[in-house]
Amino acid sequence: MVTFFDQIKVFPPKERIYSRLGYAKGITRLNPEQKDKIDDYIKKAEELIDLKGAAARILIVKIDGSRVELGDDIVFESKSLGELLIGCEEAFFMGVTAGSGIVKAIRDNFSNDDATYAVILDAVVSETVDAGLAWIMNYFNRELYRQNKQFTERRFSAGYGDFLLEYQKLICRRLELERLGVSLTEAYMLVPEKSVTAVCGIKTIIRK
Amino acid sequence: MEKVRNILKKRVVILDGATGTELQKRGMPAGVCPEEWCLKNPEVIQAIHREYQQAGADIVYSCTFGANRIKLSQYKINDVKKVNRDLVRLARSAVGKRALIAGDIGPTGKFVAPFGELGFEEAIKIFKEQARGLLAGGVDLFVIETMMDMQEARAALIAVKEISDKFTIVSMTYEKNGRTLSGTDCLSALITLQSLGADAVGCNCSVGPESMLDFIVKMKPYAKVPLVSKPNAGVPELIEGEMKFNMTDKEFAGFGRGFVFKGANMIGGCCGTRPDFIRKLKTKISKQKPFLPCRDSISALSSVRKTIFIGKEEPLTVIGEAINPTGKKLLQKELREGKMSLVQDLAKKQEDAGADILDVNAGLPGIDEVKIIKRIIGRLAVKNRLPLSIDSVNPEVIEEALRFYPGRALINSLSGEKRKLKKILPIAAKYGAMIIILPLDSKGIPQKYEQRKEIIEYVFKEAKKLGFTKDDIIVDGIAMTVSSNPGAALESLKTISWCSRVFKTGTVVGLSNISFGMPNRSWINAAYLAMLQVQGLTMAIANPLRQELMNIKRAGDLLLGKDKNASVFLAHFSKVSTAEKEKPESIPLDQRIFKAIMEGNKEDIKDLVKQAISAGLIADELVNKSMIPAINEVGDLFDKKEYFLPQLIASAEAMNAAFDEVKPYLKKEKNGKAKKTVILLATVKGDIHDIGKNIVGLMLKNHGFSVIDLGKDVSAKKIVSKIKGCESYIVGLSALMTTTMINMKEVIELAKNEGVDCKFMLGGAVVTKAYAQSLDAEYARDGVEAVRVIKKLSE
Repeated sequence: MVTFFDQIKVFPPKERIYSRLGYAKGITRLNPEQKDKIDDYIKKAEELIDLKGAAARILIVKIDGSRVELGDDIVFESKSLGELLIGCEEAFFMGVTAGSGIVKAIRDNFSNDDATYAVILDAVVSETVDAGLAWIMNYFNRELYRQNKQFTERRFSAGYGDFLLEYQKLICRRLELERLGVSLTEAYMLVPEKSVTAVCGIKTIIRK
Repeated sequence: MEKVRNILKKRVVILDGATGTELQKRGMPAGVCPEEWCLKNPEVIQAIHREYQQAGADIVYSCTFGANRIKLSQYKINDVKKVNRDLVRLARSAVGKRALIAGDIGPTGKFVAPFGELGFEEAIKIFKEQARGLLAGGVDLFVIETMMDMQEARAALIAVKEISDKFTIVSMTYEKNGRTLSGTDCLSALITLQSLGADAVGCNCSVGPESMLDFIVKMKPYAKVPLVSKPNAGVPELIEGEMKFNMTDKEFAGFGRGFVFKGANMIGGCCGTRPDFIRKLKTKISKQKPFLPCRDSISALSSVRKTIFIGKEEPLTVIGEAINPTGKKLLQKELREGKMSLVQDLAKKQEDAGADILDVNAGLPGIDEVKIIKRIIGRLAVKNRLPLSIDSVNPEVIEEALRFYPGRALINSLSGEKRKLKKILPIAAKYGAMIIILPLDSKGIPQKYEQRKEIIEYVFKEAKKLGFTKDDIIVDGIAMTVSSNPGAALESLKTISWCSRVFKTGTVVGLSNISFGMPNRSWINAAYLAMLQVQGLTMAIANPLRQELMNIKRAGDLLLGKDKNASVFLAHFSKVSTAEKEKPESIPLDQRIFKAIMEGNKEDIKDLVKQAISAGLIADELVNKSMIPAINEVGDLFDKKEYFLPQLIASAEAMNAAFDEVKPYLKKEKNGKAKKTVILLATVKGDIHDIGKNIVGLMLKNHGFSVIDLGKDVSAKKIVSKIKGCESYIVGLSALMTTTMINMKEVIELAKNEGVDCKFMLGGAVVTKAYAQSLDAEYARDGVEAVRVIKKLSE
């Protein structure tokens, strides 16, 4: 079963946005007017983001070295993913998109002489999408805790290490991301561009 | 109901501790349905209930947190009523009459419309089914808990209240930032839930006692009902592979006195707490006197994310009037087509202009008003922050709107007509709305304020019978047009004055009526607003986009002592004055151009360049001695991290604007030289992330280079064929992913194979200097370095 989230309410993580834009605490000089303007842009960016998501819990059938077999006939070949999921009973797929409006806004502003706004939009949406994944995990955490389960501390995205980008296709299909308006390019890139997927594990909490 | 209320008057009610984590400690395996497991292992759950009661809990929660149709169906259990009934019976047989049993209702796991896919009425149906099971088991009260979605909490509360009059607690779960995961703050939740009929409101789970104490402090001054607190036993930590809460029973109980002192009236524990926690808590607070709710009523409206207080001591509340199709052809067209973009736009503009509340009216002949107003409410609840005023003459529309609206709304409006009173007052009471009373009756609008008084008193008398207080009503001064009745403004002023000073209710006036048929209406409206504020007006229905009105309001608030330290007034006008501040005429123009680039001031720079050229400054000197040194200094500051990306880009944009302006005046050879080197930029095949490449393009243009941007996801073939068409070229390639970075190699190899002699510069998040060197290419870390590399390559 896929759980869809039509409205994910995430407040833009300002500190991370500033840091992503290269702000160095104690070094970068910013006058109050510039700061007001940037904060105003961040607020505007928030209004353009239409954060939606999807998540699914999938039983782990077998992990044999780098071969990870999941329910619904999903098979991954990835040593690092196998290591992440060792000791887990389930895999957790999640996906988040910020929608196409913000991507268009970034493009339009870059070509219409407001590149400053465009780079801030880009940073806000990148951090917000990441925060969206954390939001989904937080949402499920309550349910998991009552089931005496927990997430693995790390999560993986296709394209990192030996977890091939082409697995994006399996993840997207399982999460039915087309329902959120997300598709894949031939090179397995998510469209709209500001979309992400990730996988982590669910394991039983050890109690002594 | 009375039992709980009686205890609450005398002392703090002790609630039980965790059930879920306690079941796990006592052997419930992971992944099973807790409700089913308890029915199969009754002795375990009964022991937990009994131990909590023996520890001192006045109320124990039935183990029915997930016993709704949606959750149970995940375990293929269909008989919702039986599960709930039997679990309540187990609790009863464990504690007998020594403790009260609260029928526990938890979330379905789905977000409810307008925030999610589960229909609002469907959610009510699901909770009613569960509540009926709990009633069949014999619960003494209900607890709706761990809610993070306001609309789901409302659905559960409406469901319970429609089938029972038992005491009902509603408890939300807040993150450390004081908001639920869906963004509702504890104050807005309190205002919404207590007006909707919750008998106690509070918070549980997610955080430990320290954070939860803050939520109680925030809510207490506005609470009409007892407050509930059920924190976790601190924060869960992973210690040597074991998940543990970081607080001992003693530490947990140590917060008890603080909770009572700050205003919690019902206290227990959530995840990680155990019977010993409750025992110690009870011991700590048993002799403490309760801090009872400090008010019987409150004049406040809420949305899911904001609360607005209304009253004589508060600044004038502005109700934005724009979402009303009367006389607006475009809005009429959109509403008829079911479109919401204009509604959304009007809402945003009004909010930005300073409206506190949005009036919504969907009254249009030939449309389904109920359907449309619910769509408007849904859209605004999701996208905007302001509370709503439901503007309709149709009782059915008002009822459906109030039922669906996820906050406490204002009804605009209710007249003294008996037929309408009979219909609308019970609806308003059920959903806890505030009401605007219109002092008119079936005979029409009285001309004199004395007659209006009679209607106001009559309507309030009727409203009082249903539990309304003067805090729940707002009287409309009915501003009639002065063009047809010169005395109309005075009668309204008298009505407002009487309501404010004698009858002591909030007041409102629809401002624009007063000037109807007159020229220069905005001045009449503004003057009238100032007069009304002096008479004690608390709300105005107006167009917040009219600056003169909003400025009169701000000034009025200041003069009447409603703007502490003049902070709102000063904040507003300091922004305006910053924008209008005088230009430093005394500084030479070339220095001002330098400064404008340094500060990224693209708004003023074109004008400055024009002035400089007109004043006889030489364009080439302006470029070489002011503009280029400025952008170079920006680059240096960026390298040292004294500037960060938005400043770099803003300066680059200012430079671009200045360059466009100065270009026609530059000597020809300068222009020609700048155009000699053409830079081709592309994000390679397979990659669609191009912000970095765009920044590089912008920076290069600033330094006079001619840039051709081929875009993103560009094939090697296309790039190489484009290179062949240029006389002198350098190619910049970007890629974000390791999987697409390899396509850079393909481009470079294809160029070599086709005999194209050209220089390459590579960049992108995953690209390294070593990788670039391995392909015999240059590397640039960012836009500033790209300019240096290109300069070097083009020499």
